[in-house]
Amino acid sequence: MSVAEVHPGGIAGHIHPEPQGFVRRYIFSIDHKIIGIQYLITGFVFFILAGLLAEVIRTQLLHANGGFVSNDTYNEVYSVHGSAMVWLVIIPLITGGFGNVLMPLMIGARDVAFPWLNLLSFWIFPVAGLMLFSSFLMGAPVAGWTEYPPMSLQSGPGTSMWCAAIFLVGVSSTLTGINFVVTMFKMRAPGMTFTRMPLFCWAQLATAPLLMIATTALAAALAALFMERQFGVPFFDPTKGGSPVMWQHMFWFYSHPAVYIMILPVFGMISEIIPTFARKPIFGYKMIAFSSMAIALAGFMVWAHHMFTSGLAPYLQLPFMILTFTIAIPTGVKIFSWTATLWGGKIHYTTSMLFAVGFVALFTLGGITGVLLAAVPFDLHVHGTYFIVAHFHYVLVGGSLMGLFAGMYFWFPKMSGRLLNETLGKWHFWLFFFGFNGTFLPQHWLGMLGMPRRVPIYDPQFQFWNDVSSISSYVMAVAILIFFVNVLYSLRNGKKAGANPWGARTLEWQIPSPPHYYNFKNIPTVYGLPYDFSQPLPYKGLDEELTDSPIAVGGH
Amino acid sequence: MLENRAPRLDRGFWTITAVFAALSVLAILFWYSPVALPLVLPPVGAQPGEDIDALLRFMAAAGTTLYIFVGGYLLYFMIVFRAKKGDSPDAIGVQIHDNHNLELWWTVIPTIFVVILSILSVRIWYSVQLAQPANGLVVESIGHQWFYTFRYPQVHGEITDEMHLPLNVPVIMNVTSQDVIHSFWVPAFRLKADMIPGLINTIRFTPKIPGRYEIVCTEFCGTLHGAMNKQTVVVEDEATFDKWFHGWQAKNAHVSDALPKASAGAVDLAGGNQHLGQTTFAAKCSACHAVGPFSQRIVGPGLKGVLHDASHPNLVDGDKATPENVAKILQQGYKGDMGVMPNATANQLSDKDIANLVAFLNSLK
Repeated sequence: MSVAEVHPGGIAGHIHPEPQGFVRRYIFSIDHKIIGIQYLITGFVFFILAGLLAEVIRTQLLHANGGFVSNDTYNEVYSVHGSAMVWLVIIPLITGGFGNVLMPLMIGARDVAFPWLNLLSFWIFPVAGLMLFSSFLMGAPVAGWTEYPPMSLQSGPGTSMWCAAIFLVGVSSTLTGINFVVTMFKMRAPGMTFTRMPLFCWAQLATAPLLMIATTALAAALAALFMERQFGVPFFDPTKGGSPVMWQHMFWFYSHPAVYIMILPVFGMISEIIPTFARKPIFGYKMIAFSSMAIALAGFMVWAHHMFTSGLAPYLQLPFMILTFTIAIPTGVKIFSWTATLWGGKIHYTTSMLFAVGFVALFTLGGITGVLLAAVPFDLHVHGTYFIVAHFHYVLVGGSLMGLFAGMYFWFPKMSGRLLNETLGKWHFWLFFFGFNGTFLPQHWLGMLGMPRRVPIYDPQFQFWNDVSSISSYVMAVAILIFFVNVLYSLRNGKKAGANPWGARTLEWQIPSPPHYYNFKNIPTVYGLPYDFSQPLPYKGLDEELTDSPIAVGGH
Repeated sequence: MLENRAPRLDRGFWTITAVFAALSVLAILFWYSPVALPLVLPPVGAQPGEDIDALLRFMAAAGTTLYIFVGGYLLYFMIVFRAKKGDSPDAIGVQIHDNHNLELWWTVIPTIFVVILSILSVRIWYSVQLAQPANGLVVESIGHQWFYTFRYPQVHGEITDEMHLPLNVPVIMNVTSQDVIHSFWVPAFRLKADMIPGLINTIRFTPKIPGRYEIVCTEFCGTLHGAMNKQTVVVEDEATFDKWFHGWQAKNAHVSDALPKASAGAVDLAGGNQHLGQTTFAAKCSACHAVGPFSQRIVGPGLKGVLHDASHPNLVDGDKATPENVAKILQQGYKGDMGVMPNATANQLSDKDIANLVAFLNSLK
């Protein structure tokens, strides 16, 4: 098989000259690395805003009678907090951000398949984000990130803005999904078979169809809600013959797969970081890759477990309950494999590794409470309470966000050429770890004891644990502040990283940090999995890259 | 120096495994002891709350055991296999890629666990959803922004403060909403049902312990959602309940008399006015029925041509679609496989209303 058959023509076939001028290079860039970094910067800016909203929530809940903000403001605050964290922070950071920066480098491609489409995907995202936050100016949505009608039909004009903003983010992620699938199918380096592909890429490959397919259901639901709100087309209003439960089906048909969009790529990052610092091959490569696919597929078939109290026919509850239990099996395989990877290792505790192991510990707890919730009888008790809030924050903060931080400490040197400061990093980790558990662990029993979610005021018997939760959330805020200080400090003053500071073996570490515009002057040939530390690197045709001067770029 | 020697499952490993096993036994004993659940749940006041607690006890014990082992090994491996000061910087771990036996076991054991959990959950699901007594006191609750109202059979008017229930009498609780989605949750009963406008959801339970239990809304419903926990269910012995119930009935007697009442016998359909019927339809029927083809279902089917649709010659109860039989359903309501429709008393329809409605429905062709 000739090289030309593996990646026929296109951007992989030759090297384009790097565009000149600040705007073409850094603003409207078509370089996947720059676009990825743009996603990361924009995502983290939205993360700060949505994080401040979280602190407003926790400050309000310091007292059973509230009093920090009005009820209506509180409702707007938590709704925008949830929407922004899901659609403007976690999803864009791990797919658009890390996916863009890393996936083409890891498969030995010079860019994604459709760089201009990538540019469009990115630029939709900040516009949509500004639209979402601008809804505060006109009365933001109040019914949470789920926006169940008829409540969402009654709230202020900001809810229509919310529909439009989330619709646009959806377009952006759908385009990214298409781009990634095509890239991974058509642009892998010679010899990079699917069974030699790094697990982060496998995770992106499992995520991309979710982005492409599930998001369209959300788009339809949002379009319907928008039309009903603006033009009175009755989809959901029961007094006009609509069905509010239909929204719930359409919304969760997207939003349950979205849960996996928000965690699968992080699984991929953890599967890269743990072997690197344990100096061991990832345990059970094939099972980890396969379980990502199994989770993605099963993720499409369990949406109604969010609706056990909505009046589904009782028999309909059973398949959703049992299928949801079943997802615990492939998820368990991953957790056991990561744990087994540590066995017999030579483990180096960098900040990145601490976050990765912390991820496994906290995500496991979130996974276990997920199984509890899938059981219909128990869900009838805790649905709509703080138990749910605790569960999904263990998955999304203890899971996705911890994984994101692990990824930031790991790949920041590849993006910037400098290491993040380890001392600040350790402070960041320990404060975050304890702050997180202090914030969300008590919410499990608050919910079971009877505290509903989405309330600005609550029964005074719950005040003590709410205070513990709120005060711990300030510790988390300090930890995150340390992280941003670290990033800004290290960008200028960090230790020079060199090409491969961690001794990692995937392709992106075999080229300079930051990589050249064209990634690989010669596309390397791949001979094996990247995880065998006792063997020479399984790549040929890379050597001159490391010593190459970054200016020697020819046209074609 | 490259270290490539596989470490054995040594005494340390088995010791720590024994420690985890001992901790798991303690955890299981804890969850099955009487002290555990009161820490995380309010006292249970109704059947099948006990069943739900039993399921939680099992899942909490199993989950804690799993967490002790996963978290424990994670911590243990982190400590034992850390890179030590004396190690050469390029030391590597033992190069194991996989172990098919191990992978098989950790797929099979969770699968067995999932099967056991499914069986147990389905059994308790059956007890909660299907095995509750089919007959009992029917109570309705309607969600409003931001309070609940309650209705009892044979009594007109709505109670706006608290709901009374007799001890040990099965309750069939039908809930719906007048505005947005609310939820009816009594934490002490472990049950909730969303109150969805246009839909009737049902929960069934039997109060077992007298007391006052908080009702909490768990679906966001607007500005005062957080304050929608002020009303209570009062569970009392049957004599006290009867006294309260008769007092409530007496208080509403004049209201009941003033309301139009359907007679028990066959309704005289002569002189039904289809225009008045149309108004009544809009007020009383259109929340659940559309004036459209049969397939246009809201809660019940669309009623256009209900008396003239050749493809649906029979009514929901199996009788021929004649004006008399439609009147009978309007009068007596319907309850069966296809759902529930309230009777004339619940809908507050007089004989005249029924005659008008039949005339209106007859005019839809």
